[in-house]
Amino acid sequence: MSLGILKDVARPILGGMGITAKRLRHKKATISYPEQRREQYPRTRWRHALTRYENGLEKCIGCSLCAGACPAKCINVVAAENTDEDRHSPGERYAVRYEINMIRCIFCGYCQEACPTGAIVLRKEFELANYHREDFIYTKEMLLEAKAST
Amino acid sequence: MAAEMMGVDMVTILVDDIELQVPKGELIVESVKRLGIEIPIFCYHPRMKPVGMCRMCLVETGTKQPDGTIRKMPKPQASCTLPASEGLAIYTQTPQIIQDRKGVLEFLLINHPLDCPICDRGGECPLQNNTLFYGPSTSRHIEFKRHAPKAIPLSEHVTLDLERCIQCGRCVRFTEEISGDGQLAFRFRGASMQPSTFALSAFESKFSGNTIEICPVGALTSSQSRFRARPWDLESSAGVCTLCSCGCNVWFDHRIGKLVRVNGRTNNAVNEEWTCDQGKFGHDYYNHNERQASVFIRTSARLESTSWTVGLGEIVTKLKSTGTSAGFLLGPKISNEAGFLACRAATALGSRQVAGIDSRVELGANFEVPADSLLSLEQAKVIVSVGPSLADTLPIVYLRVRKAASQKGAKVISIHSSPTELDEFAFLSLCHKPGTLSLLIQGLDGSLALEEVALQTGVSAQALKEAKTVLEGQGVSFIATNQVAHTEGSAALSDLRRLAKKLEANWNHFCETASGFASLASCSGLGMELQSPESILKKCLSGDIKFLWLVDFDPFELVKDRELVKQALEEVEFLVVQSAIASEASHYASVVLPQSLPAEGGGSFTNLDGQLQNFDAFLPKIGMARADWQIFAELLSRMDLAAGMFSRQDILQMAAKDVPYFKEALTGKQDHQPQPSGAGV
Ligand code: SF4
Ligand code: FES
Repeated sequence: MSLGILKDVARPILGGMGITAKRLRHKKATISYPEQRREQYPRTRWRHALTRYENGLEKCIGCSLCAGACPAKCINVVAAENTDEDRHSPGERYAVRYEINMIRCIFCGYCQEACPTGAIVLRKEFELANYHREDFIYTKEMLLEAKAST
Repeated sequence: MAAEMMGVDMVTILVDDIELQVPKGELIVESVKRLGIEIPIFCYHPRMKPVGMCRMCLVETGTKQPDGTIRKMPKPQASCTLPASEGLAIYTQTPQIIQDRKGVLEFLLINHPLDCPICDRGGECPLQNNTLFYGPSTSRHIEFKRHAPKAIPLSEHVTLDLERCIQCGRCVRFTEEISGDGQLAFRFRGASMQPSTFALSAFESKFSGNTIEICPVGALTSSQSRFRARPWDLESSAGVCTLCSCGCNVWFDHRIGKLVRVNGRTNNAVNEEWTCDQGKFGHDYYNHNERQASVFIRTSARLESTSWTVGLGEIVTKLKSTGTSAGFLLGPKISNEAGFLACRAATALGSRQVAGIDSRVELGANFEVPADSLLSLEQAKVIVSVGPSLADTLPIVYLRVRKAASQKGAKVISIHSSPTELDEFAFLSLCHKPGTLSLLIQGLDGSLALEEVALQTGVSAQALKEAKTVLEGQGVSFIATNQVAHTEGSAALSDLRRLAKKLEANWNHFCETASGFASLASCSGLGMELQSPESILKKCLSGDIKFLWLVDFDPFELVKDRELVKQALEEVEFLVVQSAIASEASHYASVVLPQSLPAEGGGSFTNLDGQLQNFDAFLPKIGMARADWQIFAELLSRMDLAAGMFSRQDILQMAAKDVPYFKEALTGKQDHQPQPSGAGV
């Protein structure tokens, strides 16, 4: 009876401990997120950003090609005309509204591919969870890069 | 097509080795379409004379030799200026031609800025499409491009981007050949050639919007919808313009439930493919920021928002007591269904007081279906247009008259008291002193001596004599509107009609508003007269009318006598204001009903020559608004005056029982028949 317990219970436990003990010497595969974060692969496609030129002008010209290319139809662009007093981008046209519905987005990167000026890019920021549906509509203000401080 | 070919010489040509019978002299660019072959084009337009400016349409040609072989010509030819002749052989797909097309496109693109991403034409641009299908895939261009001013406002409506122009001349030819105002011309030569107005003045044409549509690049764009949407953001729905009685077929391009722009839709029996500027740029009221969105009812001094049930309930109660003294003012843009139901309500209530802009009672004229249709007008030999500017009142009729004159050689006689666009090409312009039209007509019908008439009207006796001779000929058509009576008195209008009848000419007394034809027809079908708004307002003052319903009729805008309107609206016991946009009249209203517009609620519309056209809804309604016909259908069923009106189709069927016109339109010619899908909301 007691021999049975020894064989069926203690031995597997000891065996398991043995494996654990052996593994203790190995390098860890997990990290303790969120204190630690992993470097993303260079071509990772996550949250979009609207970029600027070095002189601070927006690259986006409001052409809506991204919206046309988007298979999930989650981009909405409303354009307006630049004036000399109120200039947002080089040329005649800029986007007054630029919205992406992140719930619908499938992060395929077609918008980035379609963009003629390289304005919209998908970057490495992946923590997009939120509590309310409305919060997933990313507006132009949220997407636009801050101006490089000079 | 076969009937058209009868009596025309046919020739046999070879297109890509396929034998084809075509009428002699037909342009090759058109002939190949019979085989479903497409030749890329820029400057050619089927409704204008070919000029061969862009060289995009090159084809290789050859002639059949007696021994059956084909001898090719050494150089390619422009197919848009090449008429079909016996034994002509055409090659549209040879390696040579493919290379030539690449060459032409490369040339055109040398000076084109390729700012497609910001160009309003990008996405629906013939230059983009042709480059994609026939052009070089890469550019060899490393030199500097030509630069020219961008975004020049050519007029209030049209913006010109000189860099993008490929100098095809379509816009210039449009103003010369179609609209006839000759506003545009080319300045300079070669690469610096620019379309512009002569004195660099504003592009003042009543049809300028069409140049935007026919420009094969984004050189001419609409100032109104500039940057408002890219073509792929837009959804196009078929609609009918309701701004005048012509009933132009148009595309309503909308984005996320908002109307963005209006483009011409081809219907050869109405507007061909053109629109007037009023129609093309005048639909912005869809996006008016004071659109009526809820029902209001007056409680003591204030208007309070309420439900349809309460609003209509109040109206029904009131109508039960004052029904026999109820009056209806029909707006210029209401649907056939609403017009009919309002007339029907007036008869059922026993008041028979209905009014509209196109009223003819006070003018002593009866409602007659015009003798000509827009199509048959083109065949007239002599066209007599009487009254103020036709291009303003009935723009599409004007284009037809111009087409008849310039392409079919019709003689146009323009009779008016101030110069109009017709004078430019009229065979005779009889410009008389204001108020002397009756005299002039008496001169023309021979009851007064010409010298005497000339003296009084200020028209030369010579011109009168010439006019008289021309009028005695065959194929004369008269065009008149109520304007004749408004400017020259109703006697002049009936004199004119008498003259037309005496000459056995076609008499066309056209309506001016989209609701005109149908409301006149409904009234006469129901045994009533469509009165003038003024007479109804006067009856409000005298107390004959105690209940007034404005069916999308803004009296402050449509009736000249402001005092009369004010007093009448104050006097009347109960005022229903049914409108799409909040108007001044709502201040006097007892109940305000929000009405949707045709694109939101649907409706059928009859144009000036009696074609019934369906307009299906595609935009969302605003707030609580309902279609004009829905409002009346509900009223009539609530009052137990009629039942079973669940769709527009039901109402039209009902109208067909009472009104001969509707019966004809529903059972008659196929193209007038509303599609079954038109039913419903
Ligand atoms: S503006 Fe347009 S239509 Fe006019 S010539 Fe230039 S390309 Fe042709
Ligand atoms: S289309 Fe023939 S030359 Fe332009």
